Amino acid sequence: MKRRASFSIKQIALAFIIGLLVLVGLIGSFAAYQTRVVTHSLKLQNVNAAQSELEAAVQRLLSRTEEQAIKLARWDETRQQLVLPEYYTYWRDQRVYESGMLDSRYVRAALYDQSGLLLSSGPAKTSLPARLPASLQPHQNSSWLVNEAGAVALYNAFPVYSGEQRQSLLGHGLIRVDFMPALLREDAFHFTDSSNVSLALKPGETLAAADLLSHLSFSARPDPDQLRFQTILSRTLIALFILLAATALFGFVAYNRLLVRPLGRLSQDIDAMQQGRFSPSPSRSQSIRISELESIRRSLYDYQLQLREMHGSLEHQNREFHTQARQDTLTGCHNRRAYEEDWERFRQELKTAPQGVAFLLFDCDRFKTINDTYGHAKGDRVLSIIADALVMALRANDRLYRIGGDEFATFLSRTTPAQAKQVAQRCQSLIDAAGFGDLGIIEPVGLSIGIAFCAADQLEHVDELPKQADIAMYTAKQPGRTRIALYGEDTERASQTLVASRETSALFQALAAPGMIEMHYQAIHALPGRQVDYYEALARIRYHGTLIQPEAFLPVVSSRRLETEFDLAVLNQVDTDLSSGQLPTGCGISINLSAQSISHPEIVSQLLELSRHNARHPLMLEITETSLITQMVEVSTYLDLLRTVNYRIAMDDFGTGYSPLRYLVDLPVDVVKFDISLVNKLGQDNRAGQVVADFARMMSEVGYSLVAEGVETEAVLRKVESLGIAHAQGYLLGRPIPLAELAASLTSEGVEAACNL
Amino acid sequence: MRLYLFCLLISVFPTAAHAVIAQQEMRPAIPANADYLVGEPGKPAVLLLHGFLQTRDFSTVAILARGLHDTGYTVLAPTLSLNIPNRMQSLACEAVHKHSLDDDVAEIGRWVSWLKSQGHRSIVLVGHSFGSLQLLAYLSLKPDAAVKGYIGISLLEAQIGTTVRSALLTQLEGRVRNKQRALVNQGLSFCRKYPSTPEGLLSYARWDQARLLVALKQSPVSVRLIMGDRDDVLGHGWLKALEHVQTPMVIVKGANHFMDGAHEFDLLEYTLKFLGHIHPASAR
Repeated sequence: MKRRASFSIKQIALAFIIGLLVLVGLIGSFAAYQTRVVTHSLKLQNVNAAQSELEAAVQRLLSRTEEQAIKLARWDETRQQLVLPEYYTYWRDQRVYESGMLDSRYVRAALYDQSGLLLSSGPAKTSLPARLPASLQPHQNSSWLVNEAGAVALYNAFPVYSGEQRQSLLGHGLIRVDFMPALLREDAFHFTDSSNVSLALKPGETLAAADLLSHLSFSARPDPDQLRFQTILSRTLIALFILLAATALFGFVAYNRLLVRPLGRLSQDIDAMQQGRFSPSPSRSQSIRISELESIRRSLYDYQLQLREMHGSLEHQNREFHTQARQDTLTGCHNRRAYEEDWERFRQELKTAPQGVAFLLFDCDRFKTINDTYGHAKGDRVLSIIADALVMALRANDRLYRIGGDEFATFLSRTTPAQAKQVAQRCQSLIDAAGFGDLGIIEPVGLSIGIAFCAADQLEHVDELPKQADIAMYTAKQPGRTRIALYGEDTERASQTLVASRETSALFQALAAPGMIEMHYQAIHALPGRQVDYYEALARIRYHGTLIQPEAFLPVVSSRRLETEFDLAVLNQVDTDLSSGQLPTGCGISINLSAQSISHPEIVSQLLELSRHNARHPLMLEITETSLITQMVEVSTYLDLLRTVNYRIAMDDFGTGYSPLRYLVDLPVDVVKFDISLVNKLGQDNRAGQVVADFARMMSEVGYSLVAEGVETEAVLRKVESLGIAHAQGYLLGRPIPLAELAASLTSEGVEAACNL
Repeated sequence: MRLYLFCLLISVFPTAAHAVIAQQEMRPAIPANADYLVGEPGKPAVLLLHGFLQTRDFSTVAILARGLHDTGYTVLAPTLSLNIPNRMQSLACEAVHKHSLDDDVAEIGRWVSWLKSQGHRSIVLVGHSFGSLQLLAYLSLKPDAAVKGYIGISLLEAQIGTTVRSALLTQLEGRVRNKQRALVNQGLSFCRKYPSTPEGLLSYARWDQARLLVALKQSPVSVRLIMGDRDDVLGHGWLKALEHVQTPMVIVKGANHFMDGAHEFDLLEYTLKFLGHIHPASAR
């Protein structure tokens, strides 16, 4: 859904004000238009009124002149002058006005005899025609206008009779009116502009009074009320517009100050809060006059304070978490996460600052056994002491990382292999000098150190340093080593160890996918007849067609603490082999298990499941004791349980682990398998060989069935036989072979010959 | 008596329809006319003349004429032309007065003659105010023998205000003698402004109270004056002067110069009473 464009409140206010002004403008324009229409209409009415008024005035003037003519015609003194005109001028110039017959000096009167001649042409202010127009009707009143030198005169001629009966015509009378003054003297002109009244008459031209109106031109007098109305309306509109504009401007300013700016500040504060920026000094003093906004501002301010406090607290907690997340709580050194980040950053730095780099991997020897034996608390204390010692041994700027249970690591910059070895030796020295005895730990606590180095000109291989250090570390752990190994220099089987990581992958895939673990079976021969008594199942991993030997992946199993998973996989595969029926009935199978696995219920459960094969294939469990058995009671209980389902228990690698005598005492062991190192002692004619021989004899005498492992020479075999050891195992007698091969050989040799049932 | 006359006027009102207008040309182009109300035969005809510058339509004269005619008298009520053809209106004081007493007397004589031409052999001249003076002026000359009596109502002299009459007469006589035609603007009678020819004004100005008294004393016919004791127009001491010379006179109590109102009936009564004494045999 398309989001509509948003508008700012300022734009809305501007749009509203502009719209308001436009609306007012439109209304004003409409009012002005209507006013103009009304004004035009009023003007037309005014013109019509002026015309009517002027026509009425003209008509009144004509009527008045006519009335005056009639009055003069009937006046006795008029008749007297026509008969006895001796004092005619007195009558003309004075008497007609005194008597009221003529009411204005603009009007003149004259008398003519019957032939139309003027009675007297005596001096007069206004010249009158000496003779009446010949066209006049003798017994009718006639009225006309003449332009006399620019002045228009209205004449009215009338007959004068001697009596009412109009029997005898005495003469004629003539009234002359100064038309324009007489007309404009009409003081009742409300609509006509008297200054603009004119008569279109050429000088000397005569016009009949009947045609007078058509020759009049005029203009209407502006209506003062209309003008006042227009003025008031215009001023009102202008004032209204100015008032509205001022109000709009003031409103906009007020709106801007009271609403827009505070909202803008609030919006900025909110945006800043959204972006995590908090104003260091919120504008608390800038209060908003709008109470609702002020309430919002206060709420926002309080909220901002709370957020800032919360943010500060979160930052503090984040720092704490970050520190904690990068710090190992037990030892106080950096943890695996810090290791990964620092290593990645260091790798990036190397791209710009090439230098020699050494990667050191530390692993505590037999820590698991110590942990199991002395408890977790002391195990943790051991780790702390180790960490402290390592930190002291490292250079000032070097960091120590705990990357596993008892695994530590560090990488040294700007160093050489020799310097790295010196650091490693210093570490071992400090560990050796540490007072583990104070913790009640009798066993020596050692530290294996694997070193990998990458020169400045070979930094493209720097990513392989951890793996190389891992290989070197396992190399260091191998018996007889100085416990410090430098990859490439101390790793004896470089080609093998180079694929350590491949075998690790193979191990994990084998644990995830059944079938990759392949059991090889090595015969254990009964002595002195040297016939095969049973077979020891030995695990191999088939990975991409290659068979990986135990010495390559068992250290991985041990370091990754995968003993239980691996043992389960082995048990499953043995179950599969036994279920396949390739082994003839009566062939016993010895299975290797770590003592730790025995204490896991799923292992026990699997063993109970596997025990169904005991009827056809006697089963033996070989408990390796390279690690310390801490849960002796539980292990003993489980072993007793397993013996009830006909498992025989063998103590594997006797002579190399911890407290073997105690195990023999506390655990229900049926068979003791002498480690190859002890077996090799048997071949020596020294005191050690004598001790081992005596011990083997003693073990046999108390009922333990002994098995000599690693018999590779005939001399050793004879010695073993001489000591009365019941069984022997080794390359001299037979190498481990796959099941199919074993089955084939057994088939060819016969079951009875293969298995000494 | 008044009630009787009132009823008489009402009962004979239709007879007014018998009035005719008589017209004569007094001078060339100056005709004059008169109401001629024909009465009963055997009764003297009454020539009833209006006052100064008035016409026969003046109320005092018109009412009296109708009253006399209603009682059977033939009445001729002319309007003096004052040298105006067919004059029909009262002549304004300020108008050009180109008439004289001689013209007036001549017109009276012509109307007397006209009455005689109509067969009236007994004529009583009745005038109001200045008309009484004009009739008296006519009597002072050689009046027609048919004239049998004279009634002067509110008779008064030609009043000239505060002007010394002798001086005025001398001045006017000099103008006339010198043929000065300029109009003289001298107050006359009730006109304060009276533009007239010198000879015309002179003809009137000569008739002062003394000349009136002489004319009354020398009248060839029976004379009777009807005066009002509340006549403010009259000159001071005029009534006493009339009484002093024992002029036959009736003074109507409370009547003013125009005998208007209820005094119209007194005027008619006294007029009829006088007319009653005129011998009917001498009538037409």
